[in-house]
Order: sequence, then C-alpha cells, then structure tokens
Amino acid sequence: MDLDNARELPRAGFNFDNCKRNATLLNRGFKPPITTKTGTTIVGIIYKDGVILGADTRATEGPIVSDKNCAKIHYLAKNIYCCGAGTAADTEMTTDLISSQLELHRLQTDREVRVVAANTMLKQMLFRYQGHISAALVLGGVDKTGPHIYSIHPHGSSDKLPYATMGSGSLAAMTVFESRWKPDLSEEEGKKLVRDADPTGVFNDLGSGSNIDLCVIRKGSVEYLRNYELANKKGKRQLDYRFKTGTSTVLHTNIKDLLVTERVQAVPMEIS
Amino acid sequence: MFLTRSEYDRGVNTFSPEGRLFQVEYAIEAIKLGSTAIGICTPEGVVLAVEKRITSPLMVPSTVEKIVEVDKHIGCATSGLMADARTLIERARVECQNHWFVYNERMSIESCAQAVSTLAIQFGDSGDSDGAAAMSRPFGVAILFAGIEAGQPQLWHMDPSGTFVRHGAKAIGSGSEGAQQNLQDLFRPDLTLDEAIDISLNTLKQVMEEKLNSTNVEVMTMTKEREFYMFTKEEVEQHIKNIA
Amino acid sequence: MSRLGFEQFPDYQVPGMKHPDFSPYESNGGSIVAIAGDDFAVIAADTRLSSGYNIHSRTQSKLFKLSPQTVLGSAGCWADTLSLTGSIKVRMQSYEHTHLRTMTTEAVAQMLSIAMYNRRFFPYYVSNILAGIDNEGKGVVYSYDPIGHCEKATYRAGGTAGTLLQPVLDNQIGHKNMNLEDADKIKLTKERAVSVASDTFISAAERDIYTGDSVLINIITKDGIEVRTLTLRQD
Repeated sequence: MDLDNARELPRAGFNFDNCKRNATLLNRGFKPPITTKTGTTIVGIIYKDGVILGADTRATEGPIVSDKNCAKIHYLAKNIYCCGAGTAADTEMTTDLISSQLELHRLQTDREVRVVAANTMLKQMLFRYQGHISAALVLGGVDKTGPHIYSIHPHGSSDKLPYATMGSGSLAAMTVFESRWKPDLSEEEGKKLVRDADPTGVFNDLGSGSNIDLCVIRKGSVEYLRNYELANKKGKRQLDYRFKTGTSTVLHTNIKDLLVTERVQAVPMEIS
Repeated sequence: MFLTRSEYDRGVNTFSPEGRLFQVEYAIEAIKLGSTAIGICTPEGVVLAVEKRITSPLMVPSTVEKIVEVDKHIGCATSGLMADARTLIERARVECQNHWFVYNERMSIESCAQAVSTLAIQFGDSGDSDGAAAMSRPFGVAILFAGIEAGQPQLWHMDPSGTFVRHGAKAIGSGSEGAQQNLQDLFRPDLTLDEAIDISLNTLKQVMEEKLNSTNVEVMTMTKEREFYMFTKEEVEQHIKNIA
Repeated sequence: MSRLGFEQFPDYQVPGMKHPDFSPYESNGGSIVAIAGDDFAVIAADTRLSSGYNIHSRTQSKLFKLSPQTVLGSAGCWADTLSLTGSIKVRMQSYEHTHLRTMTTEAVAQMLSIAMYNRRFFPYYVSNILAGIDNEGKGVVYSYDPIGHCEKATYRAGGTAGTLLQPVLDNQIGHKNMNLEDADKIKLTKERAVSVASDTFISAAERDIYTGDSVLINIITKDGIEVRTLTLRQD
C-alpha cells in the first residue's frame, strides 16, 4: 500500500510541467499571483571575536505588509546563519535545503562545516536557476579559519566582505557601515553599529520595517537575539472597537447531539 | 450732438474730439424707435410688460416674441432691432447653461448681464483673437433682465454701450421717456406684484399709440414661487379690464 | 541541431532583462479619509510622500484649503495633484472676480468633476476627496475617480489605503453589517469623527507601506477650519 503511494509522489526537485503553459498565459496578459516578498534590510559585519548579523522583520505582498514580525535570519549550521531577502519562499527553501546538505556534509566529513562551503553551495544552487530563485543573502559564520561574511546575489555571484548589506534597504544601511565600520570592533561596538545600521533601512526604505533581529556568532557560541530592538510602536487608538454581544445577526440555530457510544471489551493478553 | 458729428461718426471705435462715440449714441437712439418695454421690481417678484407692434392684420401676433426665457430664473424683455436681440439672448442662454454645467448652480443676474455686455461691446473688434468674425456695429438693442437670485427678485437694464445697472423700475423703447417719468411718480419699493402689473399696463396704455389689448401686449412675472411665467391671453385681458 | 539546443528553450522572462517603456505617471502614495456630520466635515490625510520603496517627504500635506468652507484631499501622482489643485485655485479666483462671491462647496465639486473629465484621455492620476459645508450649513463629502466621476457621500476613504479603510468607515460611521437598534447607533459627533479618522490611520499605517509618518486633520465648521496633527509609525 505505501509502495503504491510512493509511486505517485513527485520526484525530488522542481517541477517544470506548467512552465510553457504559464509563459503562454503571461503573454496573453494574465496577472501571476503575488508572492510574499521580504523587501528587507539585512546586514552583517565582522567584529573582533566573530560576526554579527542583523535583519528587520517586515514581509510584504505588494504595498501591503503581510507579516509584521517575521524572522529573516535563518539557521544553516551551528556556527553559520544566513539572512535572506527577496521572495520569502525562495529564501526559506534555499536556506533550509543548504542547511540539510551542510548537515550531511558535516556527518560525512566529521568536521565543523566551513562558511566558504555554505557560500559555494548556495551560489551554485542560485546560479543553476539563473536568477529565477529570488534570494539575496547575507551569509555569516565562524569556523576554524575565522569569522566570515559573504553577500550572495540571486544570480549566483558572491562577495567576501568585512561588512555587507542586502535587500531594498541595503543602500541606507550601507551608509552607516561606510562611515563607522572599522576592523576589530568590540562586541558592544559591533552590536551598536548593526543596531544603528538596520533601522536606517527600516525608517528610510518602505520595504523594511517593524523590529530588529540580531544574531551574534562567536567562536564556539551563538546568541540569537530575536526582536533585539522594537524600533516601531503601534499608535494608541482613541476609541474602543469591541462589539456588543448580539451585534451579528443570528440567521438560524441548529444544535446537534454528538453522542459517542463506545463499547470497551476486555481482551486476554497473549503471553509467550 | 448732430452739430459736431463731422466725420467722427464713421468708425465705431473712433472717439470725437468731445470724447463721444457717435455710433454707440446712434445705437441708443435706435432703441427709441423700438416698442416700449417696462420692468418693475417688487419684493414679491418682477413684472415685465411690453408693447407688441402688430403692423399688419396678416401678422401672426404670437410670433413676435418680445419677452423670452433665458433660464428658469431669468427672463428678458428687449427693445430695438429684434435680430440683434436674438443674438444677445442666445449668448445669455448659452452662458447660463454653461454656468450650470460647470458649477451646478444658477448664474447670478448680474453675471448674466455681464456676459451679454461682453458680447455687446465687441463691435469694432478685428475678431481674429478667437476666430470669430468681426462685428461692424454696436447692437441696436436694450435689454431688461428680470430674475430671482437667492430667493430675491432683481431687475437689470443694459443698453448698447454695454452698461448694465440694477433698477427698481425701468422703461425702454419709443415711449420710454414718458413711461419712465410715470414710473418715477408711481414706484414704491413696497409695491405688491399686482400693483406693479397694473402700473406697468397703465403706463403702457398711456404711451402706446394703439389701444391696449391682449394681442398687442405681453406680460411676464418672475416670482420665487413660479419663476418665469408668461401671462395667457385671458390673464392679460383680465388685468386690462382691471385698469379700465 | 542537438535535442537540447539553446533554441529549444522558450525565452522566459528574467527580472533583470526588462525594458520598461517611459511612463508619464508615478504613484506617490498617501491616504485620505473624510467624514461629514450635521454641521461639520472632517477630512484627514497622512503626510508621507513616496515612490517605489523611497520616502520623498514625511511632512507633505495632501489637504488643500480651497475656501473657508471647502477642503480638497488629493493623493496619487503628486505632479498631477499639484497641477490640478493649481488650476482649481486659479479657476476659483477667477470665479470670485467675475461673480463677486466665493464658490460654494457644491460649485467646487461640480467644477472639479468638469476639470478632471476635460482630461478624459490623459487623466490626472489622482484620488480626490472634497469635504466642506454646503449651502444649508450641513457637512458634505464628494469623492472622485481619476476621470471626474463625482459621488456625494457622508464618509469616504481614498488613496493607497482607501480599500483598507472604507469597510471600517462603513461599519463605524455607516453602522453597516451590525444588528443594532437605532438607539444603539452612536451619534456622530465632531469628536467621534476625528477619533474614528485618527484610529483608521493608525491601523492603515500598520499594513500599508505608503501610509505613515503623521496625519493632518482638518475640521471644517461654519466658524472656520481647525487643524490637528497625529504622529504615526515612521517605518
């Protein structure tokens, strides 16, 4: 029975069956469904003892905010995290997929995986799909060779940098790094720098907003600081919008008795 | 004025050394050849009464239209060249409709008079600014505007020079001098509408050459309740009987 | 030709390879809410001016005082808003000179419709809402589509968050979709109208990326126009 089902399961990897049909629909003026994007300001820096990643928490569908507090710093390995910007599904699936491959890699090699390996696997995957996977990433981690930050573009190119920004708010955030980043920052200085850079994107870029997440990766330890800063408070409404009981019209009532009849029978236990 | 006209009455836009525009003055004279029209404004409404010259028994009197509706709230009585009057009335109607179209409200009586005045003083224009043909002479028409504005009746008068002034009572046309004197004697600001109708018909009776009857006179009232209303033959007859 | 030759693959669209035509329009965002009461009208608009993901200004008023009795709220393509309000102001001044009186709210409403329909085939890309006091001293709201369709209403939301806010107004001001006795329907006072308008903007700023920074509220009564402000989220 299970085997029969297995034959029906889709094969691993993407299914391209509808590509030709969709291209035709598109040409005839069909509007494709809107995907959830993380307009996003994501950043990463190297400091004295490791790396710090930062991200905002807004997800959008066109001009509408679809998630006010989403997490954009994804787990790749114990010592490696990755911020994602672009189409939400793409960043999540890509990081999850590479995360599982990194875990297999670690088991096979019995070594802590290196950040450079994660970078290579991510860029190879993105390049294979020629930019159709909309994931712009800031990869950061610490391995035996030291702390590393990579920025990876959707088409598969990547840069190894001491500080990187990505997403629609990347230019805003980069202004702060360009003026204030320097080698061998202390952890406090580094966190303050990231905390200052990310809100620059949150406030000046409409694709970014809400709160700030931080992830500090040191040699041998990780500190994931979810909602490190609540950059925006919701305004206080003047009126009470609760409704009186009975405000909704009851059209008809139908009560069904859910009587469960169960017979319990004693069965002698088999004793071998 | 005829003594000094020497040559200065040829161009419509040439002043005489005394500072007069003879063609305009002649146009004002032309009105004095027209039939008499009288307007009286009372707190209840405005009455317009005009003499119709029926020059031949073969004429159909109803086709001589001396009082016309411009909009629901504006009526006009004209005296002078009837063909010119048609042109000015047409402009007044267009302006009122345009004002309603653009602003969704009634045009004020003064604005209507202003719009007609703008057309009336375009004589002598080369006419190429808006593509219209040049106008060679002033209009030989005087107009009485009777209207209701914000619930209040108003009476305005405009002459060929384009000058428009608000009046309590006004007479234009051939019998205007005598009629105006009569109106000055009889007008009071608190007249009733019926009194005003009687005064206007009485005045017409005095200045008209022919005997006043229901075919050679037209009466219109403009009141808040009824707005533009032309009297029927019977109603006119009734009022003529009243003043007899 | 090999079976997997390049020409075998259709030319799928790739984001980086678009060649957009020149577009004369731009959406600069912003939302407007207007509520009319018995003897007042409230009109509110946010002050954010943006394009794409960029903020041009956090303090741009979208409310235009046309007369002591009439205020126009205009959002959409800011260039068109400036052009339209400029020409409306000129026309109103001209009316005042020719007709020796200030235009009534009804007259402005009709003229605005005509001015917009004049551009039927190259429209002003704007969402207009006009609020004011009418001839009888009552509050009125008029809303427009970009080519001059005019609708008289008692409350209306427009702009980028218009579709988010209108149902809230339907419920709170219009008492729609509620099983309420007439006695339970809350009377629309000036203060309630201001509160509902403010609260809708607080909610709109949560979900619409083009609405935020602050709200300007104009309260129009026969005695004049009172202006209030409220700070919104900045992100």
